[in-house]
Amino acid sequence: MSSLEADVLVIGGGSTGAGVARDAALRGFTTILVERRDLVDGTTGRFHGLLHSGGRYAVKDPSAAVECIAENRILRRVAADCLEDTGGLFVATPWDDPDYGDLFVKGCEATGVPAEEIPVAEALRREPRLNAEIRRAFVVPDAALDPWKLVWGCARSAEQHGARILPYHRVLDLEVVDQRVLGALVRDEHSGEEFRIHSKVVVNAAGAWAGQIATLAGCVVNVRAGMGVMIAMNHRIVNSAVNRLKFPADGDILLPLRTACVIGTTDVFVPDPDDTEIGRDAVDLLLDEGEKLVPGFREARALHAWAGVRPLFEDTRDVAETRDVTRSHALLDHMAREGVAGFVTITGGKTTTFRLMAEVAVDAVCRQLGVERRCTTAEEPLPGSESHTLYGLDTRLAAREPVPQSEEIICECELITRSRLEQTIKRRATTNLDDIRRLLRLAMGPCQGGFCIYRATGILHHGDRVDHTEANRALVSFLEERWKGLHPILHGDQLRQARLDDWIFQGILDVEHLPA
Amino acid sequence: MSYDTLVVGAGLAGLTTALRLTEQGQKVVIVARGVGATHLAPATVDVLGYLGEERVDSPASALTTLLTDVPGHPYGRVSRQQIGASLEWFCRRLERLGYAGGLDHNGLFPTAIGVARPSALAPRTMLGGDLRDGGRFLFVGLRGFKDFHPSLLADNLAHARLPAPVTARALELEPPAERRGDLSGRLLARRFDSGELTDWLVRALQGRVEAEERVGLPPVLGLRRADETLADLENRLERHVFEVPTLPPSIPGMRLYDTLTAALRKAGARLVINAAVVGAQAHDGQIESVQVASAATTMSYRTHSVVLASGGFASGGLTLDSRGAARETVFDLPVAGVPEDGATRFVAGYFDAQPLSRAGVAVDDLLRPTDRDGSPVYRNLHAAGAILAGAVPWKEKSGTGISVATGYAAADAILAPSAVGVSGSIG
Ligand SMILES: Cc1cc2nc3c(=O)[nH]c(=O)nc-3n(C[C@H](O)[C@H](O)[C@@H](O)COP(=O)(O)OP(=O)(O)OC[C@H]3O[C@@H](n4cnc5c(N)ncnc54)[C@H](O)[C@@H]3O)c2cc1C
Ligand SMILES: Cc1cc2nc3c(=O)[nH]c(=O)nc-3n(C[C@H](O)[C@H](O)[C@H](O)COP(=O)(O)OP(=O)(O)OC[C@H]3O[C@@H](n4cnc5c(N)ncnc54)[C@H](O)[C@@H]3O)c2cc1C
Repeated sequence: MSSLEADVLVIGGGSTGAGVARDAALRGFTTILVERRDLVDGTTGRFHGLLHSGGRYAVKDPSAAVECIAENRILRRVAADCLEDTGGLFVATPWDDPDYGDLFVKGCEATGVPAEEIPVAEALRREPRLNAEIRRAFVVPDAALDPWKLVWGCARSAEQHGARILPYHRVLDLEVVDQRVLGALVRDEHSGEEFRIHSKVVVNAAGAWAGQIATLAGCVVNVRAGMGVMIAMNHRIVNSAVNRLKFPADGDILLPLRTACVIGTTDVFVPDPDDTEIGRDAVDLLLDEGEKLVPGFREARALHAWAGVRPLFEDTRDVAETRDVTRSHALLDHMAREGVAGFVTITGGKTTTFRLMAEVAVDAVCRQLGVERRCTTAEEPLPGSESHTLYGLDTRLAAREPVPQSEEIICECELITRSRLEQTIKRRATTNLDDIRRLLRLAMGPCQGGFCIYRATGILHHGDRVDHTEANRALVSFLEERWKGLHPILHGDQLRQARLDDWIFQGILDVEHLPA
Repeated sequence: MSYDTLVVGAGLAGLTTALRLTEQGQKVVIVARGVGATHLAPATVDVLGYLGEERVDSPASALTTLLTDVPGHPYGRVSRQQIGASLEWFCRRLERLGYAGGLDHNGLFPTAIGVARPSALAPRTMLGGDLRDGGRFLFVGLRGFKDFHPSLLADNLAHARLPAPVTARALELEPPAERRGDLSGRLLARRFDSGELTDWLVRALQGRVEAEERVGLPPVLGLRRADETLADLENRLERHVFEVPTLPPSIPGMRLYDTLTAALRKAGARLVINAAVVGAQAHDGQIESVQVASAATTMSYRTHSVVLASGGFASGGLTLDSRGAARETVFDLPVAGVPEDGATRFVAGYFDAQPLSRAGVAVDDLLRPTDRDGSPVYRNLHAAGAILAGAVPWKEKSGTGISVATGYAAADAILAPSAVGVSGSIG
């Protein structure tokens, strides 16, 4: 069995793990990151997408609010290319407790979250589709956060500093000798090969799966999986992040996301973080909450639903309601807790505070190794963010406009050209159309791949690496995967679209009868 | 304005009914919001391609099993004889497009991804692709036309389950550039119509086709004179040439629509496209007039009979709201096959049977929409095509067959109600 060596082994390729790997690499540690699937395929790729201003926690969880606004300011500098400056609003609808507004003002003052009250008429001018019955409105510095750009940016930066990033590598076991974690047994999920990675410190950044990883070292990390559902709507119904002015609750945020907008979220404990079936009740709840913010929302065109699982850390077991667990992160040094050396868990938190979480985790690594190295991630911009300009809705179109007819457009909804797709397939050496979807936003528009997926499959097969069975499998599993996010929200125009797609795939192409 | 029959919808079902009624001497008007699914679909007539997992060789014999398994199927509302007659009539009326085939045997035609798909009728431009007798095939892609991937097609076809051995290979050609970027099907069709691409293709294939190989092309052989282009290519290449249908929009479908509407106009029917039927006045169980809304006005059309051929969910004939209530959008007819309140409408497996699939309008033996207790909602309202309940046409491969057969049968029901009705005649 071959093996690899590093100072730091990071488990988990979400925002936390990628942040840790980058921070460790920037501090000069040799670093390896392993992720059982693709990067950003855990909670980070299934979250809502808000760079919090902190306003949402100003009353309920002031320390989380303080962290959010501090990190918000830092990320606007160092991760600008991952952010769209949508701004945010907190609005009180007739369903919201009118007294909360004053608590909110006090909370924001105490935590330093800039919240400026504006006249309702001004809020309605900015967001004409909002319910005209709103009673108060505040402006906050929320933004939309692209998790793929963020995590891949961290991964590239880490690689530039010598780290190795290994997607599709699953940790099967941890090697523990005399109360010290010496590394991990890992399986390459593509080749099936198993090998060891030896490290001085293992950082467990496995999010909602952190408890499973800790068990492998004989430690107890009690993370509960709080599942949340989101629905993307076909239009940019609002242009800024709209939050309800009330205690955090289900379905209280509507966030613009490129050409769509997303309502979220819900919160229920699930026993298994890998089992996240979306129920009709969650969808109904979100549509009803959306209707309160924007009249007509229920019957507007929904594009797609998805679910993520919050890693909710708790040290006691008897918590009835998941939203009462703190949103602040948990750093667990297992040396101090259980006397197991070379093992640190960082979980909980939010993507908004991922950089801070990485910083405290790598600080703990330094302590374990008895060295002092300064964190520089608050100053060092991510690749692509050097100019500190936030991306805009028109960035892709603007890039194409100078030469509009120079190349085939494979995905019209997201303006993806043939060469861009071919390069990505080659660079990632992947046959998984879902991986490509996440990288390029392929098939994320209104038709949800109805047109581009046959094309992408043809192009995937066109190179000499992928035979017809593999190409067929890629197509079929893409259709199955996409259906999971479609069937819960099929009504109105999206059902019409789905029928058209049934006709394309099952009627015209007859993919059900492809050779196995 | 007063008509014998007003047809709602200009899809294959509506056009079939209207043409059949017009040629029998009726004064007919078609009112349609748009052109329907014909512009999107392959233009084959698929009567029945699959019974569950089983590929159907003979629709004629498979229909019996289908109707035993699915009594509420639209084919259960028409007689076997009518289905056969509708196909014969279709081939005759569309002689210019050279439709061939019938109810006794399905042809097997390659799809753009290389599956052998069963169809009862195919137009002349596709007949050369029939795979039943096996043989050698060359699939030719045109660079810049992104909706056709010949190498995947050929690889899959070479591994398909077929009655006779087939070999398949692929070739990608670069048409002379008019400009860079996407080449649309319409653009290519125009260049075939002008003869420009025909000459180029013959030259480009010189020495690159092997003996006995038939040549499969994307479905872009022209909008106006595809049949001549095909004959020209076959003569000069001395072999069969054929089109392989692919993603919408469908040039072969446009040819079908153009040919049908030209025949209708010639026969004296009136077509009002871009107008929607929004309601009806009825008296004593009979529709007396129908409201038609166009951009500027709403007008009332008097009519003796009405045929509802407004398509299913795909064409807006049916809608489902966010609470799971289905609605028939023109006359607010009862919709059958909708899961009860709270019951599952869609299941998580994409290829599994979906509970909502068979939703639509239930009809009696004269194809009249019925209410819950089975009696007709209006005595003079008939329905045809994808609006009907009971089929899962994209799985059965029965969409266009149902439209032609029920469109034809709806005309029969209007012309001679006493002579039709299926009781006893199926079997
Ligand atoms: C992409 C695609 C591929 C397909 N491929 C195949 C295939 O391979 N094989 C197969 O058998 N079938 C296929 N089909 C299905 C097939 O085309 C349909 O089943 C068709 O036959 C239905 O015809 P129709 O006349 O019932 O309805 P449609 O063609 O849907 O036409 C409905 C008509 O009603 C009109 N309408 C609706 N509401 C109103 C109103 N209120 N007022 C006025 N007009 C109205 C519409 O504008 C339209 O003109 C495909 C369909 C699609 C979309
Ligand atoms: C519904 C919802 C909405 C949210 N919205 C927001 C928001 O708007 N703004 C915000 O800032 N935060 C939001 N959050 C919180 C935020 O998304 C999470 O806190 C954050 O994504 C967690 O990142 P992570 O890297 O810790 O976990 P993950 O992204 O889950 O990464 C952990 C990774 O570990 C991998 N892994 C597991 N087991 C193994 C193994 N054996 N071997 C190798 N790898 C393994 C997993 O595959 C996974 O990719 C939201 C969370 C949820 C659930």
